[in-house]
Amino acid sequence: MDLRNLKITAGVLKKANGSAMIEWGNNRILASVYGPREVFPKHMTDPRKALINARYVMAPFSSSEEHGRSGPNRRSIEISKVAKHVFENNVLVHQFPKTMININMEVLQSDGGTRVAAITAASVALVDAGIPVRDLVQGVSIGKIEGMQVADLDKTEDNYGDSDMPAIVSLRTGEILLYQMDGKLTKAEVDNALSMIFEGAKKVREKQVEALRAKYETSLGEAPQE
Amino acid sequence: MDKKIVLPGDAVADKPLKLEGCFVENGKTYAAVVSVAQEDRIIPLKGRYLPNYGDYVVGIIKDERFSGYSVEINSPYEGQLSNRDTREEFRVGDVVLVKIMAVDEVNNAIVVEPRRLTDGEIIEIESVKVPRVIGRSGSMLGILKQYTATDIIVGKNGRVYLKGGNTVLATLAILKICREAHTSGLTDRITAFLQNESKKVN
Repeated sequence: MDLRNLKITAGVLKKANGSAMIEWGNNRILASVYGPREVFPKHMTDPRKALINARYVMAPFSSSEEHGRSGPNRRSIEISKVAKHVFENNVLVHQFPKTMININMEVLQSDGGTRVAAITAASVALVDAGIPVRDLVQGVSIGKIEGMQVADLDKTEDNYGDSDMPAIVSLRTGEILLYQMDGKLTKAEVDNALSMIFEGAKKVREKQVEALRAKYETSLGEAPQE
Repeated sequence: MDKKIVLPGDAVADKPLKLEGCFVENGKTYAAVVSVAQEDRIIPLKGRYLPNYGDYVVGIIKDERFSGYSVEINSPYEGQLSNRDTREEFRVGDVVLVKIMAVDEVNNAIVVEPRRLTDGEIIEIESVKVPRVIGRSGSMLGILKQYTATDIIVGKNGRVYLKGGNTVLATLAILKICREAHTSGLTDRITAFLQNESKKVN
């Protein structure tokens, strides 16, 4: 299975509690995490757990179509919502009652598969923030072009293809935290797509681990040369 | 000494254990935050400060009411200082050293024994690095004070108050300790660093 070039860097924003930059194909997405912190607005406070606020937006310069438009639209509100569901089931929210955790995903350049890339980056940002989570989560989009199922389509391939199935999974438990689909697939194709998703997720997780080790391994081992 | 980085989702034990920064699922223990695994200890490398009974923390008076004050303690949670626990009057913005007297099940903290900290500077470090800055029986802190002549108060919440002496050198040394927190021979290296820097000034 071929994925596009993928590179993740953890801790790129010093003022955020956690952050990560993902470069996946031509996608460039910045994720930042603030929290746990006091809930705003106050009346939404939940005395039993932390609230997760996820915000996915595309910058006006992120692609030829977004040009000039700013702020959330229906699509980014939808993606924000499904991302929120991912992290509500991933973060150990009961350890931080009466707080909220803000997860921001800003797409600086988009080229297909941005929701999966954004959430993959956000997962690294959460770990970078030291917020307790059940696992690193990640995923990939599976499409179908001329009858053949392919992983990780860019925008052109996605527009030309017949189906798009993004998913976010937890490899440790085998759980699926985000699962959406466009287009038409047979049952066999769905099953095949699912196993491709888990296969792709393994490769993506390696990059997440690489990013976090690169940042945190410096505090280990022998002294850095001065 | 075998040290390695452990990431969330990594299994750390085959049985349910109560370890810092870990959780139990189906009878096994897993890491929940990025940590260092050293022999059988798991040391989280990041995380916000949560108030604990008995901790001394450096806080900032945030709000004033008839009954007392709210104290911001570099945590998602605040401390409450009751007027019954202090004879002094504080103003919003005052920096105080307080002790955490009680923490309820939603992490609200009651703080007592306020001591106003005047002049000086505050730096913020990760609360997980505080034990390293203090050192075993205060050994690292002693070395810092010896070479800088600075009055240093390290709050468990990661806020460090510095006053007098060479605060710049003390700050640099503390940041260096945080960066190299889990390397071996740190105490000797910090001592050497402080000696070299002190020589440069003189």
